[in-house]
Amino acid sequence: MAGKPVRPANAIDQTRRMLSLVTYLRERPGARIEDVARAFGITEDELVSDLDVLPMCGTSFRGGDLLDIDTDGERIWWHNPAALGADAAEPLRLAADEATALLVAARAVATLPGLREGDRQALLRATAKVETSAGEAAGASSRLSVTFESEGGVFADVDRAISERRRLWVRYYSPARDELTEREIDPIRLVSVGHTYVEAWCRRSEARRTFRLDRVAEIKVLDEPSAPPEVELRDLSEALVQPAAEDPEVVVEVGPGGRWVAEYYPHDSAEELDDGGLRITLRTPDPASLRRLALRLGRDGRIVSPAELADSARRAAREALAAYDGAGGTHGADGTHGADGAPGADGTGGDGGTGTGGSPGPVGAGTSPAERPERDGPDDGGGGGAHDRRERTR
Amino acid sequence: MAIAKAERLMNLALCLLGTRRPLSKRELRESIEAYLEAGTDDSFNRMFERDKEDLRELGLVIETVENLDGEIGYLARRDSNRLPPITLDAEEAAALGLAAKVWQQARLAGAASGALQKLRAAGLPEDVDPYEAHGALEPRIPVHEAAFEPLMLACRDRRPVVFDYRKASAAQPEPRNVEPWALECWRGHWYLAGFDRDRGAERVFRLSRITGRVRARGGRFTAPVPDVVTVRETVASWAGERADRTALIRLRTGAGYPLRSRATKVREAGEGWDELEIPYGHGLDAWLVEFGPDVVVLEPAELRADVVERLRAVAKG
Repeated sequence: MAGKPVRPANAIDQTRRMLSLVTYLRERPGARIEDVARAFGITEDELVSDLDVLPMCGTSFRGGDLLDIDTDGERIWWHNPAALGADAAEPLRLAADEATALLVAARAVATLPGLREGDRQALLRATAKVETSAGEAAGASSRLSVTFESEGGVFADVDRAISERRRLWVRYYSPARDELTEREIDPIRLVSVGHTYVEAWCRRSEARRTFRLDRVAEIKVLDEPSAPPEVELRDLSEALVQPAAEDPEVVVEVGPGGRWVAEYYPHDSAEELDDGGLRITLRTPDPASLRRLALRLGRDGRIVSPAELADSARRAAREALAAYDGAGGTHGADGTHGADGAPGADGTGGDGGTGTGGSPGPVGAGTSPAERPERDGPDDGGGGGAHDRRERTR
Repeated sequence: MAIAKAERLMNLALCLLGTRRPLSKRELRESIEAYLEAGTDDSFNRMFERDKEDLRELGLVIETVENLDGEIGYLARRDSNRLPPITLDAEEAAALGLAAKVWQQARLAGAASGALQKLRAAGLPEDVDPYEAHGALEPRIPVHEAAFEPLMLACRDRRPVVFDYRKASAAQPEPRNVEPWALECWRGHWYLAGFDRDRGAERVFRLSRITGRVRARGGRFTAPVPDVVTVRETVASWAGERADRTALIRLRTGAGYPLRSRATKVREAGEGWDELEIPYGHGLDAWLVEFGPDVVVLEPAELRADVVERLRAVAKG
């Protein structure tokens, strides 16, 4: 129910799993624990905990109607499969949430630019079959949708390099330094989380790095074999880059128009200020890379510390302004806006215009997904060059 | 020790699925140990109602039938609960295996695995390990916003909601009464499209700007739901992707690769500068300022003025 606190999903998930398990085991006397756990996408421990509960279940707790299911630790035996009646263990129809979860995800992956055509076709066929089988339950799945952004050509090259175990050469744009660098990388995997990234072993820095595909300006699949060292794969879902404890601290104070900073930059704390703004404390291995942020914020915020960072932003702004003083005559743009309410980072966003219940913040003047490469904005949540930082081991 | 909830739900499900005639609450209570231990009638009734709802959540169609004595009985008919036949080949199975791992949100991750398990029980091929088949591709749908789950359910059930929303540059949040239509995830962020009752028009909201809880309201939708809801187009135009004008800038040689790559014209201007024509949409001023002294805006005057003003604010800092 909307507004209800989130329930622990465990009891419901476990119940639906056990219902499927009963159907599954009925067809497979003596099924092996490890096979069943794999088929159900659960750990053997989870399966064993289900097998502890099942003997307590049945159509009545009296009169021997309980399921007589047990295991010798390797195989699973069900001694009274007739306990449920002839057709009481048939596969169950999909629930609305189940159909939605599977269909929305399958559609999202199917539209990933660069996906192999065979995989795309398999996804589309499977989606159509699940829609048909789910019937009405599939209806609500149109109310959720997800788009993964990717660069089709780069994606396909990386995908090929991974499957053929070959090294890649890339020319890569680093927003923090506003520069292109060339490097050879041994790709490990492709990760799509809104944007698509390749995680790779960078031969230039001899470290694991993450590259956003739309910042790859050029790519070549090389003839040399790829040989990434064995590295432990991290869970990349939370944030692609987690600041390390020893990284220098940066404090930014923003007004209401700069609150987006807290949405886009991983941070340690964000205190509410009286004017509706925030005092944000974050850590980054390379504070200089935040000069862009300071410039972008304009009147919507300022760097509190380190002082050198604030100074360098001020200096950059003054230097930039000098160019306008010099060329001002022909274009006469000076001062026309004065001090009155400059558009914030969101400018015309907010509540006006065609159906804008709130603007999305400075997702930035990005290029359309079909174009390459997208601008750097605060939209990647990683503060630009942070994606290209050294992997820390601990 | 209290009997685990999963055990209780499982027993209720098996009783309802196994019976050919409706079972009364009394009969169910006598068949299920956890209900006998429930204590008072009140606590049993509450437990039973909740359990029925939970089973419906996981897809069980439970019918309520009144018998001749006026007593209410319950059953889950095989016909309405059986999965219609579905045959998937190994490639399709692998594709769904990949899809089932995409959700990062607990409820939908659980639902996706549940769906896959039901299909497995119905004979979904197992010989292909989805991880193997798709190599090293890991799509993930991130859900960090607390408002997601209540809004997802409200969209599903078409229930009006109210929540506090802080507009992009507003100091304070204000309550919004919304008939939620659809949720869309773009570039890793979730947006809601719906009918804003107070404004009498369609609005799009960014979930991360919802403060506090999303509360369900009684009653039905009052405005018609459009056949196609397109959140993405609206958000993309906020993001400046609907550039309808052109700007002329000077860019230092070697700098600003992303600006170059979207330029429609580039020419050398000498003395270490290039001149570029680039699409000019919402938000361009903020972006150009990021390049500091490496960019000078030439035209139009309005953009030039915006950039100058932003630079002045920073210079004063």
